[in-house]
Amino acid sequence: MHALIQGVILGVLTAGVYALMASGQTLIFGIMKVVNLAQGAMVVFGAYLSYQLFTSWGVDPFLAIPITTVAMFVLGMAVEWAFLRPLRQQDKAELSLLVTFAVALLLEGFLSVTWKTTYRSINTGYANSSMTIAGYQITLVRLWAFLLSLGALALLFLLLNRTRFGRAIRATVQNPESARLLGVEAQRVSAFGFGLGSATAAAAGSVYGLLYAFYPGTHYDLISLLLSIVILGGLGSIGGAVVGALIVSVSSAVVSATASPTWSSMTFFIILLLVLLVRPQGLFGTPARGAI
Amino acid sequence: MSTILKLDGVVAGYGAGDILKGVDLDVQAGTVTCLIGPNGAGKSTVLKTISGLLRPKNGTVTFRGERIEKLAPKPRLLKGIVHVPQDRSLFPAMSVWDNLLMGGYALKDQKAVKQRIAHAVEVFPICARRAHDHAGSLSGGEQKQVELARTLVMDPGLILLDEPSIGLDPKSRQQVFLSIRELAAAGRTVLLVEQNARSGLAASDFGAVLESGVVRLVATGASLLEDPAVARLYLGAASAGHGLAQATTGPQG
Repeated sequence: MHALIQGVILGVLTAGVYALMASGQTLIFGIMKVVNLAQGAMVVFGAYLSYQLFTSWGVDPFLAIPITTVAMFVLGMAVEWAFLRPLRQQDKAELSLLVTFAVALLLEGFLSVTWKTTYRSINTGYANSSMTIAGYQITLVRLWAFLLSLGALALLFLLLNRTRFGRAIRATVQNPESARLLGVEAQRVSAFGFGLGSATAAAAGSVYGLLYAFYPGTHYDLISLLLSIVILGGLGSIGGAVVGALIVSVSSAVVSATASPTWSSMTFFIILLLVLLVRPQGLFGTPARGAI
Repeated sequence: MSTILKLDGVVAGYGAGDILKGVDLDVQAGTVTCLIGPNGAGKSTVLKTISGLLRPKNGTVTFRGERIEKLAPKPRLLKGIVHVPQDRSLFPAMSVWDNLLMGGYALKDQKAVKQRIAHAVEVFPICARRAHDHAGSLSGGEQKQVELARTLVMDPGLILLDEPSIGLDPKSRQQVFLSIRELAAAGRTVLLVEQNARSGLAASDFGAVLESGVVRLVATGASLLEDPAVARLYLGAASAGHGLAQATTGPQG
């Protein structure tokens, strides 16, 4: 029982980071109908930026987040402008898979050349600090990572729900033709949305780098995890991404703690398959369009 | 009465094919004009050409004396042309209030937007009663009322309505046409496309018959309702096998 509860605690804390990564992925799909296969590579790029800021100038990864998110926001807008905007609307959904995969490979190549292919990790002074509550161990870095992810998700929620431009983004997701007829400029929303999705990847990357060792090829593991989360939650739904991240992370951690780590990744793929058999659109997705 | 909108020889379509093959149409300010015709005649395409969703390959679109056929949808919206597309055009997972706010998205002056929303809510009280509900939870008739209220936020000179009665029950349909008459009584100009030709013409000052991408006939709504050829082809008096062109020139015309 102790192992089970410890697994749940670990799963919930890790879910925050996964939810942050996946929220960007699902936001981009909701706005543009683009499955961004470069999202994992952007997370890893964010981790490397934090690593560089920490090793060169001693900037704490949590404090580096404003810098990495702004940098990745700009990179995301540039990727949208250079690679996705030229695609014809009717081909965008299919061709964007190839294009974003190419962007992922480009980023992987750049990371490999710049930082080599050896594993890196960000070892802060508090990396191994932990506390014990009622017999359960909680590592501080994981707790801070969880709280920061919640804060970032809350900011994203406020941006989408309390600002004029956020309303335009949600409107575009729900009914693009109607939004356009009301004066929403689709290209501007797409560029901003892709930038925002990339910025969440950067924030998640900084936190990911604190929790796990990484190398350029880590993005292959991350993208399969992210796709599982957003498909489970329902493509285009940020709420769905959060719930999907919780299910994936908790089930994986519980199986790992109570059975064997070998089975942990298999578990959420089984859950994913079962959910898709019952609800092909995912838990919070709509058969037609998403609703963030 | 003055002409607020003029289409002159408009040719438009998607890809290589032309759907509109030279549409001429005048719309008078402060009136309701109903465009009727068979499926595929190009009725919705006319509205898209006016609002800017589709740019004509040829011909001119003049609004309040100004050529607008080359403008994007947003500048046309700012000039006062509001287009309500077919089917449900609200944002279903947003509240009714947020939908109304989106109606004024193109305007910079948010104070003016709130004032206009207050006016729209007076005209369509359902918006106040259901302000915080998701638009998708409203009935079809209620959604249509909110759509009409949303058009008022732009203080439009011309409202384009694509099949406003589609999918509605008879009572809601009646309410929609009543609301359209009220908009005209308040000085708005409405151009609507309607498959339910009898109800559409009954609610309109003028009607135009579009066939095969060309306007064949323009008259008052009342006279079109009494026209035997129109009645036979579009008002369900008998099965429609031929177009108006053949009906008026053929042996049975």
